[in-house]
Amino acid sequence: MEDKKGHYSGGRTYRGDEITVYWKPSACVHASYCYRELIEVFDPGRRPWVDMKAATTARIIEVVDMCPTEALTWKWNDEAKNIDIDRRHSNHVKFMRPELMGPEVDGALDQPVSVKIMIDGPIIVKGDFKLKYSGNEKDMKDGMISICRCGKSGRMPFCDGRHRHTDFEG
Amino acid sequence: MEDNIKKQQLTIVDVTDAGPLRVTGNFILKDLKRDRMESPEEALLCMCGNSRSKPFCDCSHKK
Repeated sequence: MEDKKGHYSGGRTYRGDEITVYWKPSACVHASYCYRELIEVFDPGRRPWVDMKAATTARIIEVVDMCPTEALTWKWNDEAKNIDIDRRHSNHVKFMRPELMGPEVDGALDQPVSVKIMIDGPIIVKGDFKLKYSGNEKDMKDGMISICRCGKSGRMPFCDGRHRHTDFEG
Repeated sequence: MEDNIKKQQLTIVDVTDAGPLRVTGNFILKDLKRDRMESPEEALLCMCGNSRSKPFCDCSHKK
């Protein structure tokens, strides 16, 4: 799954003393929890952008678990510890959040859709909803979209992270 | 009658052409920037970046 250079299918890995963080850029919706919460570790302007030594393991786990997608996930380096992982760790590679795992979510049908305005960032819509876009309609099941709020995205109406390079506040 | 109720439950996210994002139905709007949470029947959210009443549209995109 991973090689020595820290690449794995679809992304990169960052190995710390106790845990390894997996990064899958194609899954990122630019919710920006990671760098707003912990810029010391997750600095998009730095290469490599993840510094596993800049915070405690507990804090890194806490912030990776905030990621609303599977763009950031993590696991213990000690494989034995991955077996009894706490389900609250929603972005552990073993469990991940249920809505990313497909079926088995019928009970959540009547849940209201979550529409989140991110700080100086996009609108993140999550849940079961109908998306209307350019005359098309798409039924989103356990879906998630990230809508641009700064007006500068290169792939409107969706966020492409461009707001970070502008002075967008809102 | 039941169908009517179900229809209202359906949440629609409408990317209007050159306008705001129109969300209707059963949803919770959480504004992390202003630390507000509400559950309106409809929300028109700014997508051009110019509104003065963010996150809502104030028709600045027309100017």
